[in-house]
Amino acid sequence: MKFDYVIKRISHTILIFLAVVTINFFIPRIGNDDPASRYYPPQIGTMTDEEYDEIKALTREQYGFDKSPVEQYLIYVKNLLSGDLGNSFQPGRPKVMKLITERLPWTLVLSLSTMMISSIVGIMYGTFAAKKRGRLPDTLLLASSTLLTALPAFIIALILSMIIGFELEWLPGYADPSMMTAFDWSFEQILNVIRNATLPVISMSIGGIVGYAVSTRNSVIVVSSDDYILTARAKGLSNGRILYRHTLTNALLPIVTRFMMGLSALIGGAVVIEKVFNWNGMGTLFINANLQNDYPLMMGVMLFLSSIALLANLTADLLYFVLDPRIMDGGRR
Amino acid sequence: MNNTMTKKILNPIINFLQTIGGIIKKTWNHKKGRIGLILVVLLALTAIFAPLIAPYDPYDVLQRGERGVGPSLDHLLGTTSFGQDIFSMLVYGARVSMTIGIITAILISFTGAIIGIAAGYLGKLPDAVIMRIVDVMLVIPTLPITIVLTNLFGKSYPMLIFIFTLFGWAGLSRVVRSQVLTIKNTNYVKSAELFGGSKWYIMTKHILPGVSNQLIMNTAMTAAGVMIAEAGLSFLGLGNTEFISWGKMLADAQSSGAFILGYWWWILAPALGIFLSVSSYMLIGFSLEEIFNPRMSSNSSQFKVLKTLSGKYIQELFDEMETIDNQGGEHND
Repeated sequence: MKFDYVIKRISHTILIFLAVVTINFFIPRIGNDDPASRYYPPQIGTMTDEEYDEIKALTREQYGFDKSPVEQYLIYVKNLLSGDLGNSFQPGRPKVMKLITERLPWTLVLSLSTMMISSIVGIMYGTFAAKKRGRLPDTLLLASSTLLTALPAFIIALILSMIIGFELEWLPGYADPSMMTAFDWSFEQILNVIRNATLPVISMSIGGIVGYAVSTRNSVIVVSSDDYILTARAKGLSNGRILYRHTLTNALLPIVTRFMMGLSALIGGAVVIEKVFNWNGMGTLFINANLQNDYPLMMGVMLFLSSIALLANLTADLLYFVLDPRIMDGGRR
Repeated sequence: MNNTMTKKILNPIINFLQTIGGIIKKTWNHKKGRIGLILVVLLALTAIFAPLIAPYDPYDVLQRGERGVGPSLDHLLGTTSFGQDIFSMLVYGARVSMTIGIITAILISFTGAIIGIAAGYLGKLPDAVIMRIVDVMLVIPTLPITIVLTNLFGKSYPMLIFIFTLFGWAGLSRVVRSQVLTIKNTNYVKSAELFGGSKWYIMTKHILPGVSNQLIMNTAMTAAGVMIAEAGLSFLGLGNTEFISWGKMLADAQSSGAFILGYWWWILAPALGIFLSVSSYMLIGFSLEEIFNPRMSSNSSQFKVLKTLSGKYIQELFDEMETIDNQGGEHND
């Protein structure tokens, strides 16, 4: 029973992954993504039609566009299985995978710290607000949640960048452009990264903190009225133990899903924040690829983000399964 | 005969308008909802009467004032470094944001409702197929796919609305489907089926009213989400560039060095516009959520029931926790 569920979830994930790969492959091919006409638009007078056709044919061959779409698709999937996302249209045709893995750590710095900060601070404040329900910390949370959810992260980012970065000059409002090339794990460089990442991370975290806090608060309040908490009290357990062992473990179950789902959304949402702070991560890579019509790179980033979302969903489901005794066969922990 | 036909067509419309009217009335009686409604109406009036409200025509290239001056009587919100009047731009920007937001939200709710009801009520194969498509759609990151598709198919507003709708319905249809599954098993649907009601009759007469609350709430929330997405896209410089939008104003401000020059009004004005329009719909959404689904708000009826049922115990629990915390001396309330 337990095993069946895991197998079912994993095969389901693989199927969705294949569908996403297929969509990723065919989307650019619906439009005009022929590298030949992108790179050699008809230039009147500079070359004859024959020369022009010859160059186009050569480019198509070089990019593997001379084959039929089905053949191209099979090659794409074959390469994908060995971790190859194809070559970018950029000069020198670098591997898409290499470009992504170069930038990925810089986006992960932002999104992982955001995830950590918003979940930890949010859960702590949410539990606190649930305890103080109806009093100042709680009403403050509920009132601010309405306002702060309406404030998109990039607006917070712009305002923080303007006030703290450029007016007060406490922290860099624009990421240090040499930060990434000069990085060598020395203490100074790490400190420099932290300084530069502070404003982006704060602006991305605010919404998350409020979100986590509100859902933790609601969850804790609901769970506190459940029968098993009463049972735990009847057993004579201490209140601290009830809170940490019984209330929070159950109240945090829905939060686990939220945490896992958050990652892919954060990496996707980082696109706009990176632009505000001129942060050279995956988002900037994606935007530049878009400006250069570099489809292999764009679709590579897309596939990468979708895969993260898929893996996160799968992990969330499996974690939920492990953590929630009610789903488990026999109800044993 | 003719009379019954018109009745058949008119009745659902009248019912629908009555439902909408009832919901607006309920929202008006709710504190958050009333603020939201007033804001929406004000913003809508601003959008409609933009030429009357704006002191200058921001689309007139020849009409330029002094460059980069702060707020004054001549220019209520100052000017850009090109000499455009920011207040006029702000007023015209409301048109883009409000139109895109509400049209897309209605389209998404419409599509999500039809697909969700079909999946939930028809069951079997249609359900399986639709839910697998939903799984795939939910994995694909929205902002990046929007960027790819606008690159391929153009950035006109109808195209933008189409893309937002294409990738926005999936989440809603999943929620609608699960609601339909519960409604489907109620006695009144069962008896309607026994009396030989057609699938179409049951779907429109019994299921649709059952999910309409969810749909209206979703429309408000989606409108807010779409406004954020459109602003983000314009801020990235990837939105429609023909019209003045708040996101584009922010992008222009950033790229023209408003931060370095200290033109704070150029950043804050569009930021305020985005915040107000997003929060107007969100406030309506939140208030509807509390009206339809009175779970956790501190003054909700369910909360009161919960409190009388086991309120003494919960209060005791939290009070004792507090004593423990105070003994630990960890916080200062």
